[in-house]
Amino acid sequence: MRRLLALLTMVGAAMLLLEVSPGTAKGDPSPAAQASADQNLAIIVNQTNTIDDITLKELRTVFLGERSHWPNGRRITLVMMDPGVPERKAILRDICRMNETEFSRHFLQGLFTGEVFVSPKTLSSPTGVRKFVFNVPGAIGYVRASDVDGTVKVIRINGHGVDDPEYPLRFEARDSK
Amino acid sequence: MSEASHNAKASRSAFQRLLQAVSSQIARHSSSLLLFMVFCVVIAVGMFMIGDLHTATDQAQRMYAGSVQGLRQIGELQYEAQETRRSTLYALTTNDSNLQVEYADQSRKADGLVTEGIAQYLAGAHIPREMELGQRLQRDWAAYLKVRDEVLASILEGSTKEAVDMDLTGGVPSFDRVRQDLEEVKRLYDEQASEQLKAVGLSSRRSVLRLVGVLCFTLLFAIASVWVIQRSKMLSALKLAKMQMDFVASVSHELRTPLAVICASAQNIADGVVDEKEKLAKYGSVIGHHSRQLTELVNQILLFASTHEGRHRYALRPLQTSAIIESVLTNTRELAEEAGFTVEKSIESNLPPVMGDFSAICQCLQNLVLNAVKYGGSHPSIAIRAFRGGEDVPYGEEVRISVEDHGIGIDGSELQQIFEPFYRSPVVKAAQIHGTGLGLPLAKSIAEAMGGRISVVSKVAVGSRFTLHLPASQVVGAENAAERVAQL
Repeated sequence: MRRLLALLTMVGAAMLLLEVSPGTAKGDPSPAAQASADQNLAIIVNQTNTIDDITLKELRTVFLGERSHWPNGRRITLVMMDPGVPERKAILRDICRMNETEFSRHFLQGLFTGEVFVSPKTLSSPTGVRKFVFNVPGAIGYVRASDVDGTVKVIRINGHGVDDPEYPLRFEARDSK
Repeated sequence: MSEASHNAKASRSAFQRLLQAVSSQIARHSSSLLLFMVFCVVIAVGMFMIGDLHTATDQAQRMYAGSVQGLRQIGELQYEAQETRRSTLYALTTNDSNLQVEYADQSRKADGLVTEGIAQYLAGAHIPREMELGQRLQRDWAAYLKVRDEVLASILEGSTKEAVDMDLTGGVPSFDRVRQDLEEVKRLYDEQASEQLKAVGLSSRRSVLRLVGVLCFTLLFAIASVWVIQRSKMLSALKLAKMQMDFVASVSHELRTPLAVICASAQNIADGVVDEKEKLAKYGSVIGHHSRQLTELVNQILLFASTHEGRHRYALRPLQTSAIIESVLTNTRELAEEAGFTVEKSIESNLPPVMGDFSAICQCLQNLVLNAVKYGGSHPSIAIRAFRGGEDVPYGEEVRISVEDHGIGIDGSELQQIFEPFYRSPVVKAAQIHGTGLGLPLAKSIAEAMGGRISVVSKVAVGSRFTLHLPASQVVGAENAAERVAQL
């Protein structure tokens, strides 16, 4: 009986371990994979946008559609990725501080009351986001730092660049769940 | 100093001999040379025609390649410009941002190709009008792209109405300008292509005219050459026929005279007209003399025929010059004395032996001596000299034997012809001096068969000097003597 209990305990521990580290269970234990899962999210704007730095608070107003224009007069177009995408989860959590339902409700309500000026555009891939931002002078979006190229401009948040350790937008492994 | 002048003299004489040999070869092979020239001209004309055709083909190919490339370039520019606009307008037809981005991307790819095509057109522009048109197209295209970017931005932002308005007010006119520019480029290209076509046509006509001219020239040249060859052959044949006729006539005469004498003498003896012993001896002597004369004549003709056909063989061996001269003088003494000629003989001491066939060399010299007697005119003296020749000859040292007379001489223009078979000078014919025209050709053939030659120096009414040049035997080497058995 005691042996059976010990066996059950070991099986339970093993299952718990598998649950905690799915990457390991899927056979992807490399440090590189772990690092890419934890990389930063870059906020990107059109190259013609004059803004270089933004505070997290301002970013929240932009992403919640409460700000309609950039300082250069261009209308703000918000670009989001499809619901459920890890990057979107991270933005909702770290900037909007909402879950998916709250975010949807906020925009429905805001557009109805007139408090929200911008309806976000939804794209399915980081490449699509990047191309959208490239084509629209007032667009703002987000992609993983590794997806950034020269066609778009990455802005600093609270004075921190995307490579700084203090950079506030971090895409963590748990966002992939 | 004397050695230098001797060398210069030797060089000059060698050069003169070479010239003589070349001119003689040219005269002998004139028909072949003419045919060779015709062949060369035909080859040259053929090469020229091939080159001309090649140039014309190259020109046509370049024009065709240029036309195809130009048409393709313009077609691609027009297509990609349309594609740029078409993709932008497609973005208007959907609300899906992903599709809109896709269309925007397609539009940008197409505009990149157009921009690149315009840059290529400008790079290949040569005339000011092309440059101006290319620059205008570049400006108009940039203006359209500016509007297109705004339209795309509005579409992606979701402002469809704004996008449509912007396209109608700015996009359509600017794109029309681009289209007009492209049409103008096409028109200009068409003009250039038609000009090139005209130039190629002109060049082709020029080529055809050139070819016709060259062909006419070649044809005329070939006809003229054939005419000249035929004429030359005909003249040669006529000349030969005439010489043969003369020869036959001459030989007939030469044969008939002694035969008539022999016949008359024999008849007189047979008829008993001559019964005295002394007279009979005289008749015998006359018959003998004319018989020998006939034999000589027949021998000469047969010898010439055999040497001419290359059937005669000579056995070459070292011979003493004095022995040759003695033999010749013995054989010709009777004739010379009968004609009242005196013969002066002079032989240089320590002469090397010569290489040759004894009887042939004797026959050769004998012909020269008989000619000297025959054409000696009113100065009946002959000089035979043997001396060492120069060393400027291909075979080294040589011995020269000259026969000199003070007779009628030979005109300079006839010096080449006297060695031709059957040739008899008009002067000689007019002077009724009989002969066959075979003596000198036979002497020349013999001299050449011995590895030597005959030279002549003559002046009309002063006299002639014929010199037989023979290679000295020590140069040739006794061991080579057997090898020099030549077949002629």
